[in-house]
Amino acid sequence: MFEAPSIGDLNIAATLPATLLALGACIFLLVDLFVPKDRKYITALLAAAGLLTSLVLALLSLMNIIEFGSGETAFAGLYIADQFTDVVNVVVLFTGLMGVLVAYNYLDRIGKQRGEYYYLLLFTTVGVMFMGSAGDLVTVFVALELLSIPLYILSGFRWPQEQSEESALKYFILGAFSSGFLVYGIAMIYGATGTTEFRGIWLAVDEIIAQDLSSKYLLLLGAGLTLVGLGFKVAAVPFHMWTPDVYQGAPTSVVAYMSVAAKVGGFAALVRVFASGMSNFVLDGATAAAWQDTMWLIAALTMILGNLVAIVQTDLKRLFAYSSIAHAGYILTAVAAAGSAAVTNEAAQAVAIYLAAYAFTNIGVFAVIISVEKDDSSNTGLDSLRGMSRTQPLLAASMTLFMFSLTGIPLTAGFVGKWFVFKSAIAADLFPVAVIGVLTSLVSAYYYLRIVWLMYFEEGEPQVYIPWPLASAISLAVVGTLLLGIFPYLLQEMAQDIVLAFGR
Amino acid sequence: MKTPEVAIELYILLSAILFIMGVMGVLLRRNAILVFMSVELMLNASNLALVAFSRQWANGDGHLIVFFVITVAAAEVAVGLALIVAIFRTKKSIDIDALHLFKD
Amino acid sequence: MDITIESLVFLIFGALTLGAGVLVVTSRNLFHSGLYLMMSLFGVAGLFVLLAAPLLAGFQVVVYIGAIAILIIVAIMLTPGLTQIKTLFNEQWMVNLAAAVIVFLVLVSVITPLMDDVGVDNWNADFTEDHPKAVAADSMTTLGEQLVDPDYFMLPFEVASVLLMAAMIGAVLLVNPGQAEDESVVPPEGEEV
Repeated sequence: MFEAPSIGDLNIAATLPATLLALGACIFLLVDLFVPKDRKYITALLAAAGLLTSLVLALLSLMNIIEFGSGETAFAGLYIADQFTDVVNVVVLFTGLMGVLVAYNYLDRIGKQRGEYYYLLLFTTVGVMFMGSAGDLVTVFVALELLSIPLYILSGFRWPQEQSEESALKYFILGAFSSGFLVYGIAMIYGATGTTEFRGIWLAVDEIIAQDLSSKYLLLLGAGLTLVGLGFKVAAVPFHMWTPDVYQGAPTSVVAYMSVAAKVGGFAALVRVFASGMSNFVLDGATAAAWQDTMWLIAALTMILGNLVAIVQTDLKRLFAYSSIAHAGYILTAVAAAGSAAVTNEAAQAVAIYLAAYAFTNIGVFAVIISVEKDDSSNTGLDSLRGMSRTQPLLAASMTLFMFSLTGIPLTAGFVGKWFVFKSAIAADLFPVAVIGVLTSLVSAYYYLRIVWLMYFEEGEPQVYIPWPLASAISLAVVGTLLLGIFPYLLQEMAQDIVLAFGR
Repeated sequence: MKTPEVAIELYILLSAILFIMGVMGVLLRRNAILVFMSVELMLNASNLALVAFSRQWANGDGHLIVFFVITVAAAEVAVGLALIVAIFRTKKSIDIDALHLFKD
Repeated sequence: MDITIESLVFLIFGALTLGAGVLVVTSRNLFHSGLYLMMSLFGVAGLFVLLAAPLLAGFQVVVYIGAIAILIIVAIMLTPGLTQIKTLFNEQWMVNLAAAVIVFLVLVSVITPLMDDVGVDNWNADFTEDHPKAVAADSMTTLGEQLVDPDYFMLPFEVASVLLMAAMIGAVLLVNPGQAEDESVVPPEGEEV
C-alpha cells in the first residue's frame, strides 16, 4: 500500500536555490496583480531580489560554505546537487539578474513595461537550473520545456510588432520540432536501457557493451536523436538556422538573456546526458565513447560556419547571433573531449568555465547594443557604433574589452575559457579540432576587432541611451570579464571539484 | 501479463514511420498550424514507442514519461496556438515561407 | 506472423494511424487535416490498449483528442480564409525531403537488424530482472502513486506544474484583447499597416 513519504527523504533542502526561485516567481505573479501599471519597478525589484537571494545561496553552496541538504542527490536521484549544479546555478542566476537590469528601461522605451516579463524570466531561470541539476532524462525534458516555453513568449513580447512575433513563431516551431526529436531520443534510450535515470543508463550501457547486445544500435539512435534535440537548443550547426532570425527579431533585452541562458541550459543537459550518462558507451575497438566523433564533427562545423558567416554580417544582432553559434562550437569541443574516459571530468570543468566566462562577456555585448538601439528597434547596424570612442569613451572601452574577451585575448575571461577548452581537447587526442578552434579564433579576431576599429578610428556621432540599471549591468560585465581574466584561478578553483563520471 | 502476440519491434517500426511522417510534415509543409500538427504526430510516435518499450521492459517508467509528454504537448499547444492567432491578427497569414523576413 | 485476433487488431489500428497520418501531412484542406489528426491519435490510442495500457489510451482520447486536437481545430477556425491551401509545399521542400529521407533510412536501418536477430521478449530481458523499478504499471493507483512518490517522478511532476502555469500566463498574455490599453498605439487591424 502507498505510504506518504516523510519530507526528510526528499532532501528538499538540497534544491533550495531552485525551489526558492520557483516559489518566488509564483508569489511575485500574485503580487504583480496589485502593482499599478506605472509602478512596475516594484515587480522588477522583487524579481531582482529573488534572483539575488538565490544567487547568494548558490554562491554559498558553490564555495562550500554551506551545504544545503544532505548528500548529493535529492528527489531519489532525480536532482543532483553537485558542484556542476552549483556552477550552472550561479551562472544562470547572475545572467537572470543582468537580464532584469538590462530589461527595465528597455521595456519602458518600447512601451511594454509589464510584470509578466519578469516572472517569465524567473520561470526560464528555474528551468535552466533544473536542467543543470537533472539526474534523469524526464527531468531534462520537462525542464527544457520550462526553459523554452517562456522564452518563446518573451521573444514575442513586443507584439504586435511584426519582427518580434515572427521571431517568436519561428523559435516556437523549431523548438517544438526539436523537442519532438528529444522525446523520440529519450524513448530510444529508454528502449535500450529500460530506465531514464542517468545512473541506471550508465549501468545499463556497461551491460550492453559487455555483452555486445544488439540494443546498442538502439542506444546509438537514441544518443543521436537526443543530440539533435539539444543541438537545436544550443544552436549547433546544422541545427542553427533559427538563431540569426530569432536574435534579430526578438527584443534585444530578451536576446541578451536568452543567448546565455538557453546555452547554459542546453550545454548543462548535453554534459549530463552524454558525459555523465553515456561516457562508457565505447564500442568494441574504440578508445573513446561512440558519440565522440559526431560531437567533434559538429563542433568543428559549428566553429567554422559561425565564424565565417559572422564576417559578412552588417547587423549587430545578427553578427552576435553567428558569434554565439561559433562559441557553441568551442563549448561543443569540450563536450566532445568528454568522450574520452580519462578526460571526462576535465572536459566537464572546461564546459563550466567557458560558460561562466561567456556569460559575463556576452550579456555585456548585448547591453551595449541595447544602449545604441532606437525605440523602434532600428539602428542596430554596425554603423551605430562608429566613432563611439569620442562621445562615449567608457562605453567604447567596455565594448573593446568584450570584443577582446570574445576573441580570446589573454587577461580576459574569454581567453581562460578557450584555454581550458582547447587543453581538454588536446588531452582527449582531439588535436585537429583544437587546431580548427585556434584558427577560427583567429578568423573571429577579424570581425571582433573590426568593431573596435569602427569605434576608435572612424568618424561618427553615435547616440546612446544609458540609464543607471543598464550602466550597472555593463559595469558588472566589465568587472566579471576582467576579474576572471586576470585571476583565472578563481574559475579553476570553482570548477575543480566537478566530477561527473560515475565510479564503477 | 501475457506475452504479446505482435512483436514489440513492429510497434517500434510503426512508430518510426509515424515519426518520419511528422518530420516530413514539418519540413515540407508551409502552413504553421499544419507544421504544428506534424509535431503532434512526432510526439505521438514517441508515445507509442515509449509504451511499447514499457511493455518490453515490464516496468512503468515508459507510461509515466507518456504522461509528461502529454502534459508538455498541452503546454506547447496553448502557447503555440496563441502565437499563431496573434501573428494572424497582425499579418493575416501564417505561411512559413513568409517568415523569412530576414535574409542574409 | 500468424493471423490472430490480436495481430488483426494491430493491423487495423496500425493502418488507421499511418493512413490518417499520411492524410494529415498531405491534405490540402487544413480542417480535414485536423480531423485526420484526430483519427491518427485514435489509432495510437487503440495500439495503447493492445500494449496493455488501457489507462493511457483513455488519457490519449480525453486529453489528446478531446483537448489538444480540439484546440487545434479551434485555432483553425480562428484563422479564417486559410483553410484551403493552394501551394502544398514550402520553398525548400526538395532539400528538406532529402533530409527526411536520410533520417528515415537511419531509423529503419537501426530498427531492422533488431527485428532480424532478436525475437520477442528476449531483448536482453535478463537485465530487466535486476532493475529495481520492475513493476507493471497498468492501474490508476500505481500510476498515481508513482507520480507523487519521491522514489519516482515527483520532481518532474512539480516542474511540469510550474511549466503549465508559465504556458498559461504566456498564452493569455499573447492573445489578451486588453493589450491596447497599455499602449499609445492601437494595434493595426489589417487596414492600415
